[in-house]
Amino acid sequence: MVVDMDKEFFELLCYILTSARGLMDEPKMYGPFRLVDTASRLISILEKHGMADNFLKRERGKIDEGKYSVMESEEKFREFLDELILDFTEELKRD
Amino acid sequence: MLLETIMKRRSIRRFKDQDIEEDKIKKILEAAIWAPSAGNMQPWVFVVVKEKKNKEKVKVVSPGMFDLPGIIIVICRDMEIAKKSGNEILSLMDISMAAQNMLLEAYDLGLGSCVIKSFSQKAVQKLLDLPKNILPELLVSIGYPDENPNPPKRREKVVHFEKYGGRHG
Repeated sequence: MVVDMDKEFFELLCYILTSARGLMDEPKMYGPFRLVDTASRLISILEKHGMADNFLKRERGKIDEGKYSVMESEEKFREFLDELILDFTEELKRD
Repeated sequence: MLLETIMKRRSIRRFKDQDIEEDKIKKILEAAIWAPSAGNMQPWVFVVVKEKKNKEKVKVVSPGMFDLPGIIIVICRDMEIAKKSGNEILSLMDISMAAQNMLLEAYDLGLGSCVIKSFSQKAVQKLLDLPKNILPELLVSIGYPDENPNPPKRREKVVHFEKYGGRHG
C-alpha cells in the first residue's frame, strides 16, 4: 500500500511540475484548472487509501463534474470555483 | 458526408479500456502521412505508443491528458527538415494538418481522439529516446470513446465575402 501511495504521489508531483512549466506558455485559464484538478487528484489518492471523509469524497465528485466548464465559459467556471470555496468554508466553520 | 464527419467529431478525453485494432491504427497513420505539406517537406515523424506502461509514463508528464487512451501517437517535427525550408512555422502547420487528418480518420473508424499540446516536450523527448532534432509537438490520444460531449458553440461572423465586413449575396 505504501509503495502504491509513493507511486501515486510521485505521479501527482510530476503532474504539478510539468503543469508549472507548461503554464508559462499556456492560456491563463489553464492555471486555475490545473490547481482544481490537482485538488481532485489529491483527494482521489486519499480516497483510494481510505483517508478521505464523506465531505472530501463529495467535493471530489463535484470537482470532476464541473472542472471542464473551463472550456465552455469563464463565468461558469468562476461560479463553479466560488461554489467549491463556499463548500470548504462551510466545512471550516463546522467546529 | 465529409462535412458531417467534421461536424460530429468531438475532442474525446475519456476512453474505454479496449484495444484498437492494428488495421485501424495503420489507416490513421496513412491518413496522417497524406496531409498537405508546404514545399512537400513532410517534416513529420510519428511515434505510436501502445504498451500500457509506456502510455502511463507519457500521461504522467502530460497535464492535458485526463485518461489512458488505447494509443498515443506522438507527432514530432524533424527539425533538420524544418530548418531547410527556411520558415519553421510552415512545418508546424504541416503537422497540424496531419493531426487533423488523423482525428477525422479516427472518427470515421468509430474512435475518439484528442489533440494535446499540454505536455512536457523535454520529458516526452527523453521518455521516447527521441534524437535531438526530433521534437515532439503534439500528442494525439485515440481510443474507443467513453463520453459523448456536446459540441461547443462556434463563433459567429467569422466569414466575410470579397472584403472584410462583406456579406454574401
